[in-house]
Amino acid sequence: MIRFTDASVTAPGEDGGSRTILHPTTLELGEHRISVIGANGSGKSTLLKLINGLTLPTSGGVSVNGLDTARRGREVRRKVGFVFTDPLSQLVMPTGREDVELSLRGRIRRADERRAAGMRVLESYGIGHLADRSIYDLSGGERQLLAIAVVAAVEPAVLVADEPTTLLDLRNEQTIRAVLRALPQQVLFTTHNLSFAQDSDRTLVLDGGRVEFDGDPAEAVAFYQELCLR
Amino acid sequence: MRGHGQLLGLYVPGQSLLHRTPLVLKALLCVGASTPVVLIRQPLATGAGLVLFLLLMTLGARLPLRKVLGALVPALPVLALLALYSGFTRGVEAAFVVPGGIAVCILAARLLTVTTPGQELLDGLVRLVRPLRRLGADPERFALALSIMVRSIPYLVGSLSDLRDAAKARGLQRSPRAVVVPVAVNAVAYAQATGQALAARGLGEHQHGEDDKEDGPDAVGQGRA
Repeated sequence: MIRFTDASVTAPGEDGGSRTILHPTTLELGEHRISVIGANGSGKSTLLKLINGLTLPTSGGVSVNGLDTARRGREVRRKVGFVFTDPLSQLVMPTGREDVELSLRGRIRRADERRAAGMRVLESYGIGHLADRSIYDLSGGERQLLAIAVVAAVEPAVLVADEPTTLLDLRNEQTIRAVLRALPQQVLFTTHNLSFAQDSDRTLVLDGGRVEFDGDPAEAVAFYQELCLR
Repeated sequence: MRGHGQLLGLYVPGQSLLHRTPLVLKALLCVGASTPVVLIRQPLATGAGLVLFLLLMTLGARLPLRKVLGALVPALPVLALLALYSGFTRGVEAAFVVPGGIAVCILAARLLTVTTPGQELLDGLVRLVRPLRRLGADPERFALALSIMVRSIPYLVGSLSDLRDAAKARGLQRSPRAVVVPVAVNAVAYAQATGQALAARGLGEHQHGEDDKEDGPDAVGQGRA
């Protein structure tokens, strides 16, 4: 269970004051798949980054399974995997094989076992044949699949994905959606794709740093469309 | 992140003699053969070192000569400057020995990286620094930091090249500030992004001492939406 308790985020403003990125927010997020939609700059990514402590709340608190992200951040980050919009920001090793093995270092000590396990992970995502290819030679879809694979390899209890299909063509988008749909863990994602947003159990609509709607995905999308036309 | 500027090289999968040689032997060979070249500083030793590593790369690791020599291309401007400086200050011999010694070290480092998978190198580093555990060091973190540092070199070289092109496109090729400032900003952004990428997988952080109030990998209020 993810809990936001009056969590807010502010950043220094240009005039020396502060600007609010996320207004005090209280939420309980327990559904298997939760989508977050909203315009650019509405606070979606900040909301997601709060969940694994990549961003800390300025006031209030966020906890995952009872662990406070500010006080137990390291533990929280081992439970909550984060997939970035741009997979090249995610991948830190030159090849997929090395990157997934990096993920597994903390779990599997023996090099040969780690190598075999890394290969199994890549094959389970259908990218085993790309294991030794430079990450720069992969297509956008292959890179995003790899980014999800290297994060999922550490078997986090929660997987958070920030606009995982934004940079992809339709075919790759469908692939990533299918992969996320099949993941057993709780998945939270932001998206600008309203059809993808409805592929969830619950949808939050953010506007100006506030959660303006929280509920059924179809109703949330209708609310968001109306909000955009106002 | 950009992928060019492969000074130290990517692992090239293969079944050559050097690919099959244990890491510790390869490391001893590289250090053992390059150290005398740097210490002796004689043209004969430098020439012998260059020939030895070119033979090791082409015959021992079965890499095409063009690819082997291509590894030195990103370093050529620096090597040329060193040759000029050494030639003027210490004579013709030094103009060959000083850059030649560095070229030998680059080839030796590349020999290791192209014939050894990154994770195997990381494991080797962890073993190497394990004795430091008695002093409170964390070998796993040390090796990870070193491996990320090596990994960041191609990025920074690529970033420099891209920004130089961008400055040229705006007619600012004569302004060092137009290149140096964005390279520095990019380097900091890259370091932050790498830290976040590791944190996103729960990597690179202490396994204990969880109860301390900490700063997140990202400063408060840095989110983008």
